[in-house]
Amino acid sequence: MERLLVKGETIEQCLQSYPEQAATLKSLLQTALASRQAVAIQPRAEFKARARYQFHSALQEWVTQRRHPFLSWFPRWATVVTIVLGVLMMGGGTIAAASYSMPDNLLYPVKLATEQVQVALTPSDIGKAELCAKFADRRVAEIIYTANKGDAQRIEVITQRLDERLAMLARLTSPIEVAEAPRMLEAPPPMQLEEAESSQEIPGDKNNRAKLRSTVANYAINHPAGLRAALKKAPESAKPALRRAIAVSVAGYEKALKALD
Amino acid sequence: MQDEKKLVERAQHHDQEAFAQLYEEHFDKIYRYVTLKIGNETEAEDMTQQVFLNALQSISSFKWKGVPFSAWLFRIAHNQVVDYFRSKKRTTVPLDESLASDNNNPQLLTEQKLDIEQLILATKQLTEAQREVISLRFAGELSIAQVAKAIGKSQGAVKALQHSAIVALRKTLRVTEDE
Repeated sequence: MERLLVKGETIEQCLQSYPEQAATLKSLLQTALASRQAVAIQPRAEFKARARYQFHSALQEWVTQRRHPFLSWFPRWATVVTIVLGVLMMGGGTIAAASYSMPDNLLYPVKLATEQVQVALTPSDIGKAELCAKFADRRVAEIIYTANKGDAQRIEVITQRLDERLAMLARLTSPIEVAEAPRMLEAPPPMQLEEAESSQEIPGDKNNRAKLRSTVANYAINHPAGLRAALKKAPESAKPALRRAIAVSVAGYEKALKALD
Repeated sequence: MQDEKKLVERAQHHDQEAFAQLYEEHFDKIYRYVTLKIGNETEAEDMTQQVFLNALQSISSFKWKGVPFSAWLFRIAHNQVVDYFRSKKRTTVPLDESLASDNNNPQLLTEQKLDIEQLILATKQLTEAQREVISLRFAGELSIAQVAKAIGKSQGAVKALQHSAIVALRKTLRVTEDE
């Protein structure tokens, strides 16, 4: 069996060494080969991507807790105030750490604040729109993560953020320019930073727009599908909130794709 | 093995990249093992993720004894499966249809699904020890020596279990003369 399974010899080659037992051995070796179908069992790509994201968040929390045990008792309000002062001064390590955090993690407010800063500091509309798409993807992963925990209220909050991101994506990529009044930085939450008025088209925007459309088209299929899969496994208490999240993602992506067309 | 040992030591010292690499290397095998043991893809997904989350919490207690790291992960997975059956209070689980790998050929996919379904049904007829060996050997892709260390038996015992399992599977699997 080792010759067949490990060395990769054929059944006939193995049987040549044992001609008297060939009849019995053949069916056994054939069965062993059939058993190798087990390696064809593969996890769904969608599940694997979601699981990877969740694992990295847990990994990040594990690393943070062991390197900075004081964060486990640092009050949430103090964390948020620190964000306002610190997000522009933070080293890449902490920001990178926060980027994988989930809604029940201490660094989650840092993640949201960093996203807002990134959008505010990106000069072009298409650049901002790309970030909106990226952050919408994060919101969906967070909703799926939270659905497993059955926290309906939190799902509603994240769905609202998803809705805002998709609306912003549609607004930024709409061919009709809309001038918006600048919004001032407020006390957290919700934190809103200034949005730049529509900028002039930057060379390369057409290519970026096409790439963005392709990304958004993929998300328009995968995100509702991922949320529907989560709906099947979610506890009853989370299902109404998840249904709304699905509706928001479908409607939001439809508007975004119309704007990009 | 030495490379893996260094990787595990780095992970134990909170090296995020090292643990992430271990995760990528072993994820599919653990998933296959759990799926073969419980015969349900949807439930195997959550269990597989839980195996790695448990491993994350207890990696500091892992001691290198010449046994591959995967054997430790399979032990965690095994315990998850035992808890699963204990809580479900059943030994048979409805088969999940979407068990085959991602494949663009519909006919091959259908054949593969049937083969996998047959295999899982057939393994349910095995004893617990036989199923463990088959799952570790064929789903987990461990060698005889690795399986022996993982389950605490001699290599001779593992070979005997493998042989008796294959004999039992032969009775239930539809193997054609052409294979």
